[in-house]
Amino acid sequence: MLNFEDVEERDGVRLSWNVWPSSRIEATRTVVPIAALYSPLKQREDLPPVLYEPVTCKPPCRAILNPYCQIDVRGKLWICPFCLQRNAFPPHYKDISNTNLPAELLPKYTTMEYTLSRPAQVPPIFLFVVDTCLDEEDLKALRDALVISLSLLPPYALVGLITYGTMTQVHELGYGECSKSYVFRGGKEYAPKQIQEMLGLSAQNRAAPRPGQPAMPQTFGAARFLLPVSQCEFQLTGILEQLTRDPWPVGNDKRPLRCTGNAISVAVGMLETTFPNTGARIMVFAGGPATDGPGMVVGNELREPIRSHHDIDRDSVKHFKRATKFYEGLAKRASNNGHAIDLFAGCLDQVGLLEMKSLPNSTNGAIVLSDSFATSIFKQGFLRIFNKDEQGHLSMGFNATFDVQTTKELKVSGVISHAISAGKKSACVGETEIGIGQTSAWKICSLSPRTATAVYFEVVTPAGQALQPGSRGLIQFVTHYQHSSGQQRLRVTTIARNFAEAGSPAIAASFDQEAAAVLMARIAVFKAEIDDSPDVLRWLDRMLIRLCQKFADYRKEDPTSFRLTDNFSIYPQFMFHLRRSQFLQVFNNSPDETAFYRHILNEEDVNNSLIMIQPTLMSYTFDVPPQPVLLDSVSIKPDVILLLDTFFHILIFHGETVAQWRKAGYQDQEGYENFKELLEAPVADAQELLVDRFPIPRYIVCDQGGSQARFLLSKLNPSTTHMSSSMYGSNTSNAGQAIFTDDVSLQVFMEHLKRLAVGAQTN
Amino acid sequence: QGQQPPYYQPQGEPEYINAPGYGQQPAYQQQQQLAGVTDQFAQMGIAGGQKPFSLYTTNLLTAPPDPRELLRPPPEIRLPPNACITTNPLANADPSYQRSTINIVPTTSALLNKSKIPWAIVITPYRSIKEGDQPVPLVTDTVIARCRRCRTYINPFVQFIDGGNRWRCSLCSMSNEVPQMFDWDQERNQPGDRWARAELNHSVVEFVAPTEYMVRPPQPTVYAFLIDVSHAAVSTGMVATACRTLLESLDRLPNEDGRTKVAIIAFDVALYFFSMPPGTTDSSMLVVSDLEDVFLPKPTDLLVNLKEMRASIEALLGRLSEMFQESHTVGSAAGPAMQAGFKLISPMGGKLMVLSSSLPSLGPGALKNREDPKILGTAKESNLLQPASAFYKTFAIDCSRAQVSVDMFLFSSTYQDVATLACLPHYTSGQTYFYPAFNAAKSEDALKFAHEFGEVLAMPIMLEAVMRVRASKGLRMSSFHGNFFVRSTDLLAMPAVPLDQSYAIEIQIEDTLTAPFVVLQTAILHSTCTGERRIRVITLALPTTSNLSEVYASADQVAIATLLANKAVERSLSHKLEDARDAVTNKMVEILTTYKSSMTAAGSGASAQLAICENMKMLPVLLLGLLKNVGLRQSAQIPPDLRAYAQALLTSLPSQLLVPYIHPTFYSLHDMPPEAGTVGEHGVILPPPLPPTSEHLKRHGLFLIEDGQTIFLWVGRDAVPQLVMDVFDLSSYEQLRGGKTTLPLLDNPFSQRVNAVIAKTREMRRGPYYPHLYVVKEDGEPPLRLWALSCLVQDRADVMPSYQQFINQLKDKVNGSSYS
Ligand SMILES: [Zn+2]
Ligand SMILES: [Zn+2]
Repeated sequence: MLNFEDVEERDGVRLSWNVWPSSRIEATRTVVPIAALYSPLKQREDLPPVLYEPVTCKPPCRAILNPYCQIDVRGKLWICPFCLQRNAFPPHYKDISNTNLPAELLPKYTTMEYTLSRPAQVPPIFLFVVDTCLDEEDLKALRDALVISLSLLPPYALVGLITYGTMTQVHELGYGECSKSYVFRGGKEYAPKQIQEMLGLSAQNRAAPRPGQPAMPQTFGAARFLLPVSQCEFQLTGILEQLTRDPWPVGNDKRPLRCTGNAISVAVGMLETTFPNTGARIMVFAGGPATDGPGMVVGNELREPIRSHHDIDRDSVKHFKRATKFYEGLAKRASNNGHAIDLFAGCLDQVGLLEMKSLPNSTNGAIVLSDSFATSIFKQGFLRIFNKDEQGHLSMGFNATFDVQTTKELKVSGVISHAISAGKKSACVGETEIGIGQTSAWKICSLSPRTATAVYFEVVTPAGQALQPGSRGLIQFVTHYQHSSGQQRLRVTTIARNFAEAGSPAIAASFDQEAAAVLMARIAVFKAEIDDSPDVLRWLDRMLIRLCQKFADYRKEDPTSFRLTDNFSIYPQFMFHLRRSQFLQVFNNSPDETAFYRHILNEEDVNNSLIMIQPTLMSYTFDVPPQPVLLDSVSIKPDVILLLDTFFHILIFHGETVAQWRKAGYQDQEGYENFKELLEAPVADAQELLVDRFPIPRYIVCDQGGSQARFLLSKLNPSTTHMSSSMYGSNTSNAGQAIFTDDVSLQVFMEHLKRLAVGAQTN
Repeated sequence: QGQQPPYYQPQGEPEYINAPGYGQQPAYQQQQQLAGVTDQFAQMGIAGGQKPFSLYTTNLLTAPPDPRELLRPPPEIRLPPNACITTNPLANADPSYQRSTINIVPTTSALLNKSKIPWAIVITPYRSIKEGDQPVPLVTDTVIARCRRCRTYINPFVQFIDGGNRWRCSLCSMSNEVPQMFDWDQERNQPGDRWARAELNHSVVEFVAPTEYMVRPPQPTVYAFLIDVSHAAVSTGMVATACRTLLESLDRLPNEDGRTKVAIIAFDVALYFFSMPPGTTDSSMLVVSDLEDVFLPKPTDLLVNLKEMRASIEALLGRLSEMFQESHTVGSAAGPAMQAGFKLISPMGGKLMVLSSSLPSLGPGALKNREDPKILGTAKESNLLQPASAFYKTFAIDCSRAQVSVDMFLFSSTYQDVATLACLPHYTSGQTYFYPAFNAAKSEDALKFAHEFGEVLAMPIMLEAVMRVRASKGLRMSSFHGNFFVRSTDLLAMPAVPLDQSYAIEIQIEDTLTAPFVVLQTAILHSTCTGERRIRVITLALPTTSNLSEVYASADQVAIATLLANKAVERSLSHKLEDARDAVTNKMVEILTTYKSSMTAAGSGASAQLAICENMKMLPVLLLGLLKNVGLRQSAQIPPDLRAYAQALLTSLPSQLLVPYIHPTFYSLHDMPPEAGTVGEHGVILPPPLPPTSEHLKRHGLFLIEDGQTIFLWVGRDAVPQLVMDVFDLSSYEQLRGGKTTLPLLDNPFSQRVNAVIAKTREMRRGPYYPHLYVVKEDGEPPLRLWALSCLVQDRADVMPSYQQFINQLKDKVNGSSYS
């Protein structure tokens, strides 16, 4: 069997189980569902897209020819493993033979990318929605970033500009006479039809052309607002460079009137009427919360504070429900049309991401949270979206549909990802629902190579059926998307896994604890978005205990006998950290941050997600190569430097002694070169981590005892708390730093787990 | 000596040929030039004793109307001796500023009622000052003496008492203290000459107002131009012409104080604002399509200082028409555009200049095409003359409150609902200008509009004005006619008073008048375009009488006709057109009936004569002309827009323009006297006017008919080739085309004289109007011929009687009525 990571490398997929229980009942007993974390656009240099159409099974199956198909080279037939129908090869496959097979039938091409012959009708569209209620510095930084981004877009991409503040302005880029924009009253909610009419996108009110005149001038319709970069770059740059602050006066006791909701609704309305069902990104830049009009998050009176988790918990937030509902409505319309919405926040305070989260969550838009548009977190993060592949195409896909096909033993329970249901009630749809279910296809408006979709399955074979030797189940992932080059592409990945009898050690041995932890984390977060967190924590605990009961070695009621095999051993630790993570413990963060963290978790692959769940900690000290150390307070020592990577933060922590030396400037003195090197080593490693991370993490350098060190402390296992130290009186400098917390430590957690796992069955 | 013969004497031929045309010269100048100062005093009845009015009766049946009569000044005002404290001939109001329908006032309302002459004053408070006119004297020392009881301003008809320390009010007889600084020359800082003060010598005077007269500091002059840029507006060249004219007129806009502000908003189915930020000449266009809920897209830079942002404004005007060149948009958001303009300027007030080429069809103020040929000429026609939507009245009142005045320039080739749109100028002291089927491709159309628009732009305006007429005890202002909004019983709100707009106010006698004369004082508190708060005061003193014959002898037929034009239009809206016409005729019948019964031997019995006094001899023909005016004429053919526009003119033109409008001028050119068309002492000499009847048309002749709005050059079918060659540079009559034209200026004396007459006709009257010139061939297109002939109001036309028939009808009614 291949190593999990090799499989991931080849097919972009990690499974919780790689050998599957053969019956429904046994599958239930294995606690963690069969599930896959699949990256549809995983970059693979060895996978050049083929320039022909895929061969598909008859409708309604439409499964795609793959290496697991039985073929009859003589009869020029193939048998679909999903529906068992025979299909004739198309005429141009007439020369097929066992030695002359098309790539898609070769075992190494379980993943194929086809370039379809019919290109997309419309090039990719980028519509900027830009807040102008910014201070000059921020506005300038944002303007500059936008201007740079124009040079990163393919010249044929369509761009548009909407600015907003007290009002919303849609800029007509195709107008040569002067700068021209359509203005919408910010405080008002416009129906889609009104937006269409007000932008002059409907054909009414136009005189019939006189005979001999050209029918409709080109300036009619969306072409006025969305133009190829190559045509409008000059003018758009000019408009951006002249963009000034929102001119309406703001009282000292007021927030600026900012009609974010109105602006986004105009953007959505404009695109849905002009370019429905084609690839587009609405990129929203918000320097603060919406304070007026539909989707307003907080009033414009400064004495009204923006809501916290506590306010939401108490159900005392004036605008929360209405705003959330408003953005959900927009998210639905945008996602139905294949349009992604990205949110870029440049604000020290919150911008109302919680209310707006459905926009990126339904469309797989990006979120970048930064303190200001002048920060590198914003600038680099924003520009990183426009990363290119080796052919120079943007590394992004648009307007995708994601189809999952299974052989009959398996059914699809659902997907947890930034997608919406495409409402495909195929035979593969299962009864159990996890995430977005009741369908076997989903729309994903935007894809990046990082996008990882969690797909959950159930086994439907009733217990007691004899298992055929070598019997296996198949899953086919089909992603149809608009490539940034304008091509339509189809990526297909077909995987096959064996079934095993109940109790077979092969099942336990196939457990991918990392993938499982991430897949379970997604379920937990999905539940947390709906339920109270205590319920979710109890559910997580129950699932962990049941998994341990099933797969650990122990004697009943003897916790000391409890043992987990290697491929289960760190799973409880993941769960311990997940329980403590910002994904489930929200009160230390703002509602916006919570929405942001959860969004990113649902985007990333196994490795990145694991860093988020259980951050990595490297220790640097003299004479020893840097090494990973326990994410534990014991790792804090005066003479070490720690490098913490939480995915969202990269933190360099100088132990007390190191910090003193550094302050004293030893690193600049002769004879202390090794100290200088020690200081530089984690910095260099941190830079490496930053290189391709998205969003850009917050980079923190701190000293033991400094206020910024709290970021580290909050992540560490509190094995040495103020409680433990007083209990054991062992607070020596070598025992690490005491952490002021009431949280239980991993050790205590594990003790509880063992006791419960070996004890009497609880449910 | 060129002394004018006394009016009341039966006289020989007046020297009309060289006399100034109607209103050609202000009476001021005329009097000064024609008479020595002592004669003036005698005429004003100031120095000499009060001469009684003598009544000269004439028989309308045998004395045909002579248009030259209309050139005469109104009957003189003969005040009792010592009524006036000054000997200045300008102490009593010039009729071009303020004239009364009667120049002697009956002492009782019974007597006034008996006369059947309606009493009203016709006020043109902001009369233009043409070359040679005396400017209105300005009192700059802010020492304003007013009666503490009735608030009258001190005037030439007060009396100084108590050794000159107090003055007695000429209206209420209150004794008031003379203000401390009244006799101090502030400029030289030395004692001044009270008797030299302008307000004691001039009936028309202007005071610089101190801060007590200000609710807020005088606002800058503000113009918001709302320009239709729909397909219709662009394709007819309206936009291009308007922009070019505006561009060329920027220097003419009142802006002495450098505070004038300008905004430009274009509209079709959306509103296009132009932001002109400082530091650049690039303006940006902001489109607002939310018509139901109009808002300003920006708090700044939409309304900009003309001087500071001159370059931006010029750049914008230079490109505006091009910007919308490709417009295929049909529809008009004129209502929302006006709301937007209002929002923009209402904090200051000012003028909304609306230039619209179609019926407003979108948003608030949208109108339906209600033109229905079936109801024209029926009782329901007056519905079409009333506003179709409450929006225009309500909006007008909002404008009035915010000191915003609206001017309408209308250009449509199809129904535009002028009746409704004209509501806004009507209630905000603006004016409606109408260019039906405007097409700038015709240079005449472009020229006319450009000229008139340019004149309106150059016009100084009185801002934030309120007007009130005060009168002697026993008199009350009872009804008000004209373009304004009546605020609190007798206070007329006028956000911006244009030049040469006229108002009529009727007066009731409530108590018996005991004084030998009464005083009517009009005061307009306003701000000038140069940012000064001022009060213009016009004082008119009229003697009283208990003698009915004097009332008749003092009647001003032109003022009466002006008043009746206003009343007739109002009646046509509140009742029916027919009622309005009947009311005009009945008023004439009443006057004639009463005159006959009380002033002639015939009494109430039948008479073979139709008697009226000499000074009212022209009233029947003026009223006949009024009845035949497009605004009132009985016809099923008059498009409602033309009617409504005519009505707007009838209710706002000063008498000088109104008279030709209802009684067109008619000249025979081919045989005009040799001096006609040449330059004389007072400019170009006009030919003698003929009575407007086709009897005078000759088949070989060339005639000019004009009503102040349109000029017709009538060419007889037998016009000799030489005449055609001399005037039109064409070899024969056959080659001549009828229609709108520009007359060539040719190198022959006749061409030059004809051109001079036309040019004089265009410029001799006050007001911005530049009449179109139509060539009408005697055998040419019927509609044009009929139009020209309809100006010959003494002719029979359709159902409307000829002058002779009208007189006979009047006679029958007078004889037949049992009225006594
Ligand atoms: Zn199949
Ligand atoms: Zn008084």
